[in-house]
Amino acid sequence: MTEGGAGTPEPITRLIEAFHKLPGIGPKSAQRLAYHILRAPEQEAFALAGALTEVKQRIVFCSVCLNITESDPCSYCLDPRRDDSMICVVEQPLDIMALERAGGFRGRYHVLHGVLNPMDGVGPEDIHVRELVVRLQSGDVKEVIMATNPSLEGEATSMYIQRLIGPAGVRVTRLARGLPSGADLEYTDDVTLSRALEGRQEL
Amino acid sequence: MSQRPRVYTTEGVILRRRNIGEADTIFTVFSPTEGKFDAVAKGVRKARSHMRGHLEPLTRSKLLLAHGRNLDVFTQAETITGYRALREDLELCGAALYCAELVIRFTAERQEHRELYGLLLDTLDALDARAPLHTVRYFELQVLGLMGYEPQVDACAICGKRLAEEDVLLSASAGGFVCGDCRAVAGAGRVISVRAIKVLRYARSAGLEAFAALRLDDSLAREVQSAVAELIRYVLDRELNTGKYLDQVARLPRFTTRAESPDDVQSL
Repeated sequence: MTEGGAGTPEPITRLIEAFHKLPGIGPKSAQRLAYHILRAPEQEAFALAGALTEVKQRIVFCSVCLNITESDPCSYCLDPRRDDSMICVVEQPLDIMALERAGGFRGRYHVLHGVLNPMDGVGPEDIHVRELVVRLQSGDVKEVIMATNPSLEGEATSMYIQRLIGPAGVRVTRLARGLPSGADLEYTDDVTLSRALEGRQEL
Repeated sequence: MSQRPRVYTTEGVILRRRNIGEADTIFTVFSPTEGKFDAVAKGVRKARSHMRGHLEPLTRSKLLLAHGRNLDVFTQAETITGYRALREDLELCGAALYCAELVIRFTAERQEHRELYGLLLDTLDALDARAPLHTVRYFELQVLGLMGYEPQVDACAICGKRLAEEDVLLSASAGGFVCGDCRAVAGAGRVISVRAIKVLRYARSAGLEAFAALRLDDSLAREVQSAVAELIRYVLDRELNTGKYLDQVARLPRFTTRAESPDDVQSL
């Protein structure tokens, strides 16, 4: 145990080690954080500890859509005003927030918690595809909107799911791909530009 | 500090990406002049990044890089070929990623390999033009050859005798096919049909286009695929991640079938 140097009290060493396990935190940053906590007012440290415990105790995955929620099922799944015939499939819970912020979608959601990444060995069994298939068995769903990112992995995931659930007779749609606002034609890649051209609309 | 220039240009095919931190990504690139290398693109995951679409995996791009302390840093990127069909077809995408992983596994860092680069471009071009999936077999066999692992397909890999026109044993450890007399020496292996061997021989003598134009029925295509996969598994001593993915995709319900008449290959 060299984390805090020889003679460092054991609780500090443990805290340093805990910080060190976080993504992007090296041994030096871990030490700095630990000593910052040590010097910080007591209520600040307790608030952090409480927040950590609470997030693990109170946040669960929604048993229907796998969104993160305080109560299961989550508010999107319980809301009676939402349309049961549409499911929007997203990669991460944060994507739901983005879509809700944008407004305009009043259906249900499904969170995959990842995308297929063939190169790194992330397959369909590693993301929540099976749960989506089960949800479609009720027969209420008429349309599945694939809202994965327009990256190679996101596209692969969409195509995979489309192929998987297509035979069930559900309509599978994909978010439009093209230019984001604030984009610069000069710097836009060819694939995006040609798709944008194809998806052009009457003014 | 050395006097080398601060930046350099090259082109390359983006093989894979690994996100780091908030908005940076490390890309593995295969370039004709630099070979395979990792470089980092700063802020590339932000919406306003000018390089974003030009550094997608399976894109051929012109690149400007700056020497970094550890990894080189992308400063500009512009698409040469976007390979759109590879992004819009599940099978083709998987096949192209499989080729990319083969390049990653078979090459060492920063070793120039123009021939392999040319082969990769030809294969991606063919797949992008919706060539049949067995085109990947051509790529695999050529990669094995270029890397010094060309399998023996004419003569017995143990005694050197010319192979008879019959089903023979594939022994990856012996480096090819084994005649009936040597089977006992070779030990365990997989029996390969004459038709499959003919396909493998054809891959050596024909060009990519001619090989892609072959019409293989499903069972023959599968036999050739698993034979070549075995040779590769022996050389690399590991399974390919994308290989597993291709199996999963192959198990999906199919709307269209690529099956052709089973006797076509006999006319080679």
